Amino acid sequence: MSRPQLLQLAIPLVQTYGFTRAALSHSVFRLPKPHSEQLSDSAVTALFGEGNDARKTLIDAWLEDARQHMRASPSPTIKAILTQRLKQNEPVLQFLPEAFALLASPTNGLPPLDPLPALKHAGSVADEACHIVGEHNIGLAWYSRRATLGAVYAAAELHQLNSPSTVYDFLESLLDSSGKVESALQDAGTFAGYIGRSWAGIIKSRGPF
Amino acid sequence: MATAHPPTSNPSSVYLDPDKCGDPAVTTTPPNLPQHQRHALDSALRVDQAGELAANYIYMGQMAVLGRDPVTGPLIQDMWDQEKKHLAVMNKLQDQHRIRPTVLWEVARVAGFGLGAVTALMGKEAAMACTEAVETVIGEHYDDQLKEMEGLPASHPSVPVLKSVIEEFRDDELGHLDIAVENHSQRAPAHALLSTVVGAGCKVAIELCKRI
Repeated sequence: MSRPQLLQLAIPLVQTYGFTRAALSHSVFRLPKPHSEQLSDSAVTALFGEGNDARKTLIDAWLEDARQHMRASPSPTIKAILTQRLKQNEPVLQFLPEAFALLASPTNGLPPLDPLPALKHAGSVADEACHIVGEHNIGLAWYSRRATLGAVYAAAELHQLNSPSTVYDFLESLLDSSGKVESALQDAGTFAGYIGRSWAGIIKSRGPF
Repeated sequence: MATAHPPTSNPSSVYLDPDKCGDPAVTTTPPNLPQHQRHALDSALRVDQAGELAANYIYMGQMAVLGRDPVTGPLIQDMWDQEKKHLAVMNKLQDQHRIRPTVLWEVARVAGFGLGAVTALMGKEAAMACTEAVETVIGEHYDDQLKEMEGLPASHPSVPVLKSVIEEFRDDELGHLDIAVENHSQRAPAHALLSTVVGAGCKVAIELCKRI
């Protein structure tokens, strides 16, 4: 019985108990040799941290597990992979707003809100999606691609928290518009390149001043 | 005059061989690495990729000025071709080990080109002195990385490949260092000052790229 093993066993219990210390303490019932009693509060604290730290550990483990499940998507396209990830949210949808709020609240009270966990979450989903599809980006395109996909996924997830039935259409429309924005930016860049080269030609042909 | 032609089959060729593109040694990363090792691998490969990128652009800058020189031109072109190969392998390593590339990507390109062009404008010997300084720092850096990589789990197929690729690149860079010295880098004007400045700049760049 190890900490990672118990964490893995607690993940399916989130549907029933939410992202709570209860889910962690009931994980011992799912061991190959189940315990007769759930873990005591002090045992949960010793293994996973005290108070909300234990809940944050469980949330991180659940998010990591959901990222692993992205690979089970039926087709290796960005849309299918992000859809697959959104589907992972469905069984625990009512617990997610509190989970995200927990991640955003700092352990010490200052600063008031910590945006980094949310950015890391969206960024890692985007990174996993790019990796599964096999996209090869170098340089700053690596960052811009993940920023775009992270923003699309974050918007879709927020939409899902409010209106779960329309989220897949929303995701599709977001991916379409982000694709249009990317190609518009690329066209603008090409056009700017042409203008720049024309000016360079004009300046060269004017000869020495 | 020594040239920079390596033997035909070397460790990095597995990354450039289309037949081997499904091999786990080139497509998978060791799973369940401890956090500190994963972080160390991430920053090490990030620095290496940035270094190869900068080296490419340094040689490009030097070629822009000295490309037409009958002696130095082909020499720089040879070394540049090897660096292009190094960069291609580094890009594959980036995908394989899920490395975050440096934010200073564009800075590395511009600064590399600028350094190459400026030192080439100072003369052939200055260009060779720049190469000597950069390759010295890079060669030592790869050596330090090889020592750190001793801790990686040798059971995963990608680890011996990674170590042999880094060894090969270290030897290539030291080969470039030898070529630079043989081609009179030591005769460059203010050689000591130039080497110190370029070497210090490289060390600062390495520390920055490790972090961002």
